Amino acid sequence: MTPERAAADTAPAAERPLTDDLCAALDAYRAEIRMARGGAQAAAAYASRIDRLLARIHTDAAGQTETPVALVALGGYGRRQLCLHSDVDLLILFGGPIAAAEERFAKTLLHPLWDLGLDVGHQVRQVSELEQAETDNPEFLVAVVDSRFLTGDTGVFERFDTAVRSPTSVWRQATITALLRLVADRHARFNAAIYQLEPDIKEAPGALRDVVATRALARLIRPGLASGLPVATGRFDEALDEAEEFLLRIRSLLHLENGRNLNVLSHDHQESVAERFGSPGAEPRRQVEALMSAYFHHARITSRVLAATIAEANPPASSPPMKPIGDNLQRSADGISFIDTVRASLQPYTWLSPFQAALDEDCQVTPETLAFVERHADRYTSEQFFPGTSECYQFLHFFKPRPGLYHRLSEMHESGLLGRMFPEFRAIYCRVIRDFYHKYTVDEHTLLTIRHLSELGDPDTTARRRFASILAELAKPELIVLALLFHDVGKWTNRNHAEESVRMVGGALRRVRIIPESIRTIEFLIRHHLQMSVAAFRRDGEDPEVARQFARLVGTEDRLKMLCLLTLVDIQAVSPETLTPWKEELLWRLYVDTYNYLTLGYGDDVIATGQSSVAGLQAHRPPEISEHEVTEFLKGLPRRYLQLVDPRTVYDHIRLSRNLEPDEVRLTLDKQNDVWELSVATKDQPRIFSNICGVLSYFGMDILRGQAMSNSHKVVLDLFRFVDADQFLALNESGQSELTRLLQDVLRGDTDLAEMLKGREAALQAQCDKIRVQSMVHFDHHYSDRYTVLEIGGANQWGLLHRISRVISEHGCDIDLVLISTEGDLAIDVFHLTRDGAKLSPNIEQSLRSDLERALGVTGEAR
Amino acid sequence: MKLVKAIVRPNKADAIKDALAKCSVAGMTVTEVRGHGRQRGHSAVYRGCEYAVRLLPKIKITAVVPDETAEDVIAAITSSARTGEIGDGWIFVIPVEESRSIRTGERNVV
Repeated sequence: MTPERAAADTAPAAERPLTDDLCAALDAYRAEIRMARGGAQAAAAYASRIDRLLARIHTDAAGQTETPVALVALGGYGRRQLCLHSDVDLLILFGGPIAAAEERFAKTLLHPLWDLGLDVGHQVRQVSELEQAETDNPEFLVAVVDSRFLTGDTGVFERFDTAVRSPTSVWRQATITALLRLVADRHARFNAAIYQLEPDIKEAPGALRDVVATRALARLIRPGLASGLPVATGRFDEALDEAEEFLLRIRSLLHLENGRNLNVLSHDHQESVAERFGSPGAEPRRQVEALMSAYFHHARITSRVLAATIAEANPPASSPPMKPIGDNLQRSADGISFIDTVRASLQPYTWLSPFQAALDEDCQVTPETLAFVERHADRYTSEQFFPGTSECYQFLHFFKPRPGLYHRLSEMHESGLLGRMFPEFRAIYCRVIRDFYHKYTVDEHTLLTIRHLSELGDPDTTARRRFASILAELAKPELIVLALLFHDVGKWTNRNHAEESVRMVGGALRRVRIIPESIRTIEFLIRHHLQMSVAAFRRDGEDPEVARQFARLVGTEDRLKMLCLLTLVDIQAVSPETLTPWKEELLWRLYVDTYNYLTLGYGDDVIATGQSSVAGLQAHRPPEISEHEVTEFLKGLPRRYLQLVDPRTVYDHIRLSRNLEPDEVRLTLDKQNDVWELSVATKDQPRIFSNICGVLSYFGMDILRGQAMSNSHKVVLDLFRFVDADQFLALNESGQSELTRLLQDVLRGDTDLAEMLKGREAALQAQCDKIRVQSMVHFDHHYSDRYTVLEIGGANQWGLLHRISRVISEHGCDIDLVLISTEGDLAIDVFHLTRDGAKLSPNIEQSLRSDLERALGVTGEAR
Repeated sequence: MKLVKAIVRPNKADAIKDALAKCSVAGMTVTEVRGHGRQRGHSAVYRGCEYAVRLLPKIKITAVVPDETAEDVIAAITSSARTGEIGDGWIFVIPVEESRSIRTGERNVV
């Protein structure tokens, strides 16, 4: 302190220059802040000194008007939480009309404040104006909640107080509405995420404004109480005070370091704040992690209390009566809860059910149930949550993407249940990764990916709709959700996080009893979750080699679709700005190019003896299969085959095709869950594919997927997945043998399939006339040097494949490779064709196109 | 001073940034853009349906450089962005009258 300043401090208060008073107030406040003590007490002391300053200025200005006037502090200043560079929000309130004298008064009051360099936010009102709530000024409505008399006429202030804050005031409901809207808008600006890596200490969800909003709402909805929270949140009263103190201290340090009203706790500030706070840790990085961990702890509590308060402020129009909705579960206005908590506490394997019920009922889990889970979760090991296969089924069902899943998973995470079920996930709890891109902690980023995937069910842009259509086609979308849940768990370490995540996820999924095929898919998605971004944004999308290599990586359309969606939402969850339409376009182009390569261009890409998967097959082959047998069986088959089937199935196919005679037909028929799998091995002969399709159609089977391929020894493998739509196999004990027998008869030529199908086809013709899905026939000349590629799309109807393949065969064309997929009402079939060992001539192609279009009922417009 | 504006393939951004750094170009702006050249985009097929891709994703890089280094900068961009195929992009060079730092008020420092 300078000698001049010291002398000024000893002078009588009324004689000291205003600047000295302000400087003394600021010096005292800054000293507290530097010692990390700039919390509520320091802010209140500073506010009191500003109060005294204003009282002096008011005294000087009082002579300008005879109208009674009161000075009122608003907002943060009203709460005595005046930060170093906060605005000093004032209401100049006149008891009578505002004329020239009152304007002079206002100027005489405000000019010295401006001269002092204070940022003053001032409002001028005549008290009679306040009989009506100012609904067009929500910020003012909210600021008034914390108004405080400073100086002047107490009668004017009392009139004001009665008008705006009495329990019967029209301002009350208007303020509640305004506050709820302001909170919702503010949260939306931050993607409603607490776990920001560089949070705004004032504005972010869980930060200071939420503390203030909670207290204001509590007073407004329970006007009888001067302070205190609603009953439902009462136990958090002390925790909210602690959070507020913590946040205020950080905010004051930010103001001190920035020299202005900036409230973002950036990475740079985190280090200095952690040091001033004395956060534990031997090195700055650890100290920052400790600081941010404390921040997220407080933000989480604040957020939870605010949510409960908002729920109380926003009661449903009619409260449904409490009703049981499942085993030991009930639904009330507050959400889903256990009926018998003692029983529930002994049955951890039932704890997923309230969250599942909340998803089904589109409501939340009650705060009491979340608190129950939080209290008891640590009593159980992860295995005890999934003791049997029924829990596995429930678990997979829970993870189907849909609205609400993010909120339920967040509740499970907050209450500790997710981390208890999966200690692997707990490893990234509040994990901070400091880089230029990520805005959220690793766990929040993870949950946000799941939220964005769920939102694809109701896409908000045309561009996003195309990705939504991919999601709708997936048979097991829950596998993407599981891959997302674990894709970054490896970030607990600084090693290659994708590989570490794969290492961790296997154990977690086996505990839940996920089938090996699904585990392999999830591991694939996690291992390669960065590859599609790299290919789309860092490779030349116009180079066909990029799509070819990427197609080799993914292998199948299903994996491509899943990886594409995972990539999309992984980028989107980095920050609200990261996924631009430009990036979406590049991603989509790579998806389309790769999809085309997988479906149209795979025929030319045959298995090479040196590739690693072949070496793996040779190394692990059963003793009765020779190396030569493996080599000769794979010769000429497309690479796709090895990505389509697992090694065990390859060995089965080798056995099935061993020493096959020219007219011999061998087949296997297995069932997995509700889907049947048919594998047929024959020597190359005309119409095999057409006939198999016909037989399956004859028995009412709905073909989901089909593949046909042949090797260099003219062994043809036809692989089908179908569902027993007419329950033929389910209701007939001898169904399997009947189907097998007819297949063999037809393929040997012993039975006339065309004759058997006549009756059904006639009925179909009538059905065809009513179907509105547009069919299309497309020949591709770009993707294959060896084959003419025919792509057909049409309504998924009975016997479609048989009709198409029959028309193809009638034109003397060989079906060398086939891909069949059914996406809801749409069937998409790709045939690789040759005629006399070569691509089709233009004439044949034209004639085949005409006949196919006729068979499919393609209209002129579609052509 | 010259304003050098390059429209290039998206995957070339990093290579160009590195090349410009070697030319001592102090600052640049990279923008995601979409557009078309003489070919007016191209067509693509997805599940048998042909659709037009009129606007192709590109990257726009802009930098203001001293007159005497402009040719080196153009050469650096060209060599790092060129594939020889259609769609390599364009470089535009525009004279700059004046530049001024918003923070310090400095003039014509690039």
